[in-house]
Amino acid sequence: MRVVIADDNVLVRAGIAALLREAGLDVAGESGDVDDLLEDVEAHQPDVAIVDIRMPPTHSDEGLRAAQEIRARHPQMGIVILSQHVEAGVAMRALAESPERLGYLLKDRVGDLDEFVATLYRVAAGGSALDAVVVSRLLAARTDDGLEPLAPREREVLQLVAEGLSNRAVAERLGITLGSTEKYVSSIFAKLGLPDTGGEYRRVVAVLRFLHA
Amino acid sequence: MNRVTPRNGVWVALWVAAVVAELLALRPVLFDHEGPIVGIDVVFTLAGGSFAAFGLIAWRRRPDSRSGALMTATGFAFFASPLLSQLDGALASTVMILLVDAWIFFFVPLILTLLSRGRLRRTFDRWLVAAYALPLVVLQVTWLLFLDQDDNLLGAFPDADIAHVIDRIQRGLLVGILATTVGVIAVRWWQASAPRRRALLPSLAGALVLGLFTVLLVNDLISGTRSQVLLWITVCSLVTVPAAFLAGLLRSRLARGGLAELFRGLGGSDLQGALAKTMGDPGLVVARWQPDRGTYTDADGRSVALPANGDDRRVALVDADGRRMAALVYDASLDDDPELVEAITMATGVALENEHLQAEAQARLVELRASRERIVAAGDAERRRLERNLHDGAQQRLVAISLQLRLLQNRIGDDPSAAALVTTASDELARSLSELRELARGLHPAVLEHGLGPALDSLASRAPVPTTVSCDVGGTVPEAVELAAFFVASEALANVAKYAGASHAAVSVTRDATSVRIEIADDGIGGADDSLGSGLRGLADRVEALDGRLFVTSPPGAGTTVTAELPCGS
Repeated sequence: MRVVIADDNVLVRAGIAALLREAGLDVAGESGDVDDLLEDVEAHQPDVAIVDIRMPPTHSDEGLRAAQEIRARHPQMGIVILSQHVEAGVAMRALAESPERLGYLLKDRVGDLDEFVATLYRVAAGGSALDAVVVSRLLAARTDDGLEPLAPREREVLQLVAEGLSNRAVAERLGITLGSTEKYVSSIFAKLGLPDTGGEYRRVVAVLRFLHA
Repeated sequence: MNRVTPRNGVWVALWVAAVVAELLALRPVLFDHEGPIVGIDVVFTLAGGSFAAFGLIAWRRRPDSRSGALMTATGFAFFASPLLSQLDGALASTVMILLVDAWIFFFVPLILTLLSRGRLRRTFDRWLVAAYALPLVVLQVTWLLFLDQDDNLLGAFPDADIAHVIDRIQRGLLVGILATTVGVIAVRWWQASAPRRRALLPSLAGALVLGLFTVLLVNDLISGTRSQVLLWITVCSLVTVPAAFLAGLLRSRLARGGLAELFRGLGGSDLQGALAKTMGDPGLVVARWQPDRGTYTDADGRSVALPANGDDRRVALVDADGRRMAALVYDASLDDDPELVEAITMATGVALENEHLQAEAQARLVELRASRERIVAAGDAERRRLERNLHDGAQQRLVAISLQLRLLQNRIGDDPSAAALVTTASDELARSLSELRELARGLHPAVLEHGLGPALDSLASRAPVPTTVSCDVGGTVPEAVELAAFFVASEALANVAKYAGASHAAVSVTRDATSVRIEIADDGIGGADDSLGSGLRGLADRVEALDGRLFVTSPPGAGTTVTAELPCGS
């Protein structure tokens, strides 16, 4: 797996790169701004670009714009957007339309190296990743009405599905069998009246739209 | 209180005299006569009372003018012949004949004084009045010398033919002088300015009566008989014209009544118009003094040259607090009532001073609003800077350290106590980062970088009460407006969570040509305090700094709605 990293903070960038190298990934490029990032992308054709959302010059949403640019040029390339804080509104802006091969995570998540690497592989393979904090908030905001019919275990499954995990990953995370995971998922979708469209990213879209409605 | 002063005594005496004289004059006309009552006699007898009564009122109310006194005198002159005719004896009879036209002696100067501010100011006018002495005194006495009549004490050389000739000359002369008088007044009226014309109307009415009298005389001379129609018209005019005189004399008093109206209208923008209306002088100009330019200007800032004090235009200077404020240029006829001019001048001073203070207050208000906006903006900029410093500094460093700790963890190998220590440190670090994130978020909502819609979505996702967001603003919204809208929503949603007992809340943002409107409504218990909580009070300050409005409607049992209107061009 080949990645490039863009973060204007040298220490953070170096830290991420070092961790990922230890995990055996090929960190092909490190950059501090959007222009260098786009050059790295062109030069190394990575499987995933890891992009800090706030970068020079305005430190607002440059990372997001860079992600759109990369998406336009290389639709098959995975992109993981990192941020100091995650916001549901930004998640909707970034993911709700097309979360395929896209991730939006708190920067701290890199510390959970195994999970982070798994996320990178999932995104590279066409999946998506939404930070658990955002999903929790969205779920909490819907607790009172729409999610009433769900059992506690089903909510846990829904949380992980919304984060972008595959059924297998959900099963591993919760320590249950793949079969019962699949049962939970179809039960949830039936209860919420959502179409189970099969593809992981598509069901993320469905869940996000449901949560945001 | 009701103590009769000597001066009041004189008035009372005059009033009593007028009433008694009128009653005595009416007595033979109404009672002691043979045959039916003659209407024309009754009306003519009332002329004395009419002049005397209106004259006394005018005299009392306008002591500065001779017109009142002249009117009273005219009235008493009218009484002379009807009263004297009731006395027996040749003396009374002779005096009566002498005085029969004496009223003209007072009436003519009366209408002339009405023409020139209560006095006979022109030499020509004085000569004109004096000229009446020739027919009314000189020729009258001469005529009596030749009049062949029993009770004529002056009839030294009775000769009916000479008397007749003298009578003709006398009447002809009188007609000539009367016509001249009427002509003079008509010409002066014709030449006068518009406000002056209005002031001269009573005088013109007087001239009309005089003219009718002249026509009556001419008709007498030509036809030898008296036209009853003309007589009726003349006598009726004579009886009613004192009312017109009084109205004219009190006109300025009425204008003064308009002062109240003026003061009411002083706040308006058109001071000159208001003054012109009150003074009845459309040509009135308020020339504002510009100390820095050393000139007078009109309301539009054009230079105004003050006319020299001449016959038709007058200038009154308006000062307030010893400062020159303006000059009033007005029609000379208004000098008829110096008190009115003085009052108007003072009113103008007050109005201009007020205008000045208002402009100053307005300027201060604008400055205050601007400075409030600057203070809020400076505070926002500072908080934003702090947030960015936190984000780029401490937060990044802590993230870097957490990553390094993770690297360290990989290298510790199988020392469980060291691994536990690193894990503890990592957890502490994660908590610190989380707290820092909240702190940074409280300082400045960086999520606004993504627009108001996503920012409100994020806010809603954090709200304990399920909250829907609809944000339709299109285009760009000024940052200060976005910030204010965001903070209003944030505080309002916090209040919903704390007090409303709501099951649902809705944030809606709309925009029209001039403003962005944000509304946060819940379905809770309502009944929120109108005075706004301290949090909303601070927000009201922020909203008002943008010249916006914040209000809360919270009927008990029907939820609470917080609305902010924030001006913003499209």
